[in-house]
Amino acid sequence: MAANNQINGSTVSPDQKLVLSALELDQLAARKKQPIPRRQLRGYEKLALWSLRIYVFFMIIVVIYQVLAGAK
Amino acid sequence: MSSVEAPKLAAGVVITHEDIDRAHDRERVVAARARGGIFSRLRLLWLLVGPGILVMLGENDGPSMLSYAATGSRFGIGFFIPFVVLTFFMALIVQEMTVRLGSATHRGHAELIFDRFGPFWGWFSMIDLGIGNFLTLITEFIAIRAGLGFFGVPPWAAVLSALVVLFLALVTHRYWTWERITLAAALFNLVFVPVALLAGPDWRSVSHAVTTWMPLPGGLTKDTLLILLADIGATVTPWMLFFQQSATVDKGLTKRDVRFGRIDTALGAALAATAAVATILATAPLFAHHMSADNFQAAEFAQALQPLIGRFGASLFALGIVEAGMVASITISTSSAYAFGEVAHRPHSLNLPLRQGKSFYLVLFLCAAAAAAIVLIPGLPLVYAVLVVNVIAVLAMPPALLFLFMLANDREIMGDLVTPPLVNVLATAVVIFLTLAGILFGISVIAPNVFAFIGGK
Repeated sequence: MAANNQINGSTVSPDQKLVLSALELDQLAARKKQPIPRRQLRGYEKLALWSLRIYVFFMIIVVIYQVLAGAK
Repeated sequence: MSSVEAPKLAAGVVITHEDIDRAHDRERVVAARARGGIFSRLRLLWLLVGPGILVMLGENDGPSMLSYAATGSRFGIGFFIPFVVLTFFMALIVQEMTVRLGSATHRGHAELIFDRFGPFWGWFSMIDLGIGNFLTLITEFIAIRAGLGFFGVPPWAAVLSALVVLFLALVTHRYWTWERITLAAALFNLVFVPVALLAGPDWRSVSHAVTTWMPLPGGLTKDTLLILLADIGATVTPWMLFFQQSATVDKGLTKRDVRFGRIDTALGAALAATAAVATILATAPLFAHHMSADNFQAAEFAQALQPLIGRFGASLFALGIVEAGMVASITISTSSAYAFGEVAHRPHSLNLPLRQGKSFYLVLFLCAAAAAAIVLIPGLPLVYAVLVVNVIAVLAMPPALLFLFMLANDREIMGDLVTPPLVNVLATAVVIFLTLAGILFGISVIAPNVFAFIGGK
């Protein structure tokens, strides 16, 4: 293993140096733990999501019906 | 490998084992890109392909291949040849969005839905995916059991050997190695090409079908329409979106790699379409011999084909079904594990050592093992399970497509990789088409006679 180097005043190993040079900061596992901010929905987007809720309700009925009908 | 597990640097950046493995993969990409020249471009392609081919060949799973086989035996060479190619083109349009999303945000699909649209939709997507994936996994093990059954392998041995293969691919603890092993297995999907050649297709009929989309034996009846709706609705299934985006992130693709990600997806679509068309051609002789094969399982197809294409061809067909179930069981269980890790904020990468990724590997393996165990329960209504899977898969797509579309058009997270206007027109048309097909199929399940005016049984 090559000698350690200095980054920002800290001693880093060759592996750490490799990670910092080869990956974007947002690719680091630790950075990915930070959540992305919630989206501010516009009117038509809220409408789409409410339509989706109705669709999901419809879908659940279809699946339950299918399961019960098939079980008979 | 560094002995330091997670050192904290002065900049506040924590480096993990997962990061180090990914950096090694990226270092090779950077080196290939820096060299230039045709061989370096080819090496770059070799390094960057993977998620797209895997997702498309993974979608050619056990039930799909049996469905193509049933189509060939029921309709012969005709309308369904170009139709199947069209469905893969639609899949390409949809899956390309996941490449851009993964490369731009470095986040998985489940994670993005959770963060951008809130916990309700995050957990909904997760539960939806989990149930759908689990039921689909059951059908994959049914295919593996049926395919190996052709060679006289007992069900328990068939299922156990599939689990061993899945486990062996995982113990590498390295995304790159896992991807290459799974890719090698996935390319075996093309075994249906020699089977089709052994069936001796009439190439003039194939050419006629491609250019005219005809014939469609029996015309457009209610039954044919339902097959079409189910096929269109099942062109893209939720696990495909979650898997390709998470795999793109795990592989470490960046904005600079999007072009190769697109080539990867297009290559996957072309290979998968080739295997699908080959399967239709392989079973078309059954149509010519008026053999009803609607409810055939893998072994029965192989047995029916044996007098026409010989024992070798029939064996290849059965092996192809086994491979289709095997690769799909690997990719589908991986997509469940990725999504669980993303939503539960647990480590989720195939680069994780077993000790650090306990929950990830546990979810992955337990999903597969539970599905495999269910297949071994005597007297289980397996055909019924397949039907429920199809209904859930088709009905679950509209929400998944809506979130995909909204995320790919979200400039805040996509930046300059937001869907371009022209592509958006195409994507909108495909999303609406797939959604309507799914809804119509759902209506037909509740009211089976709704399309009776078209004719048919």
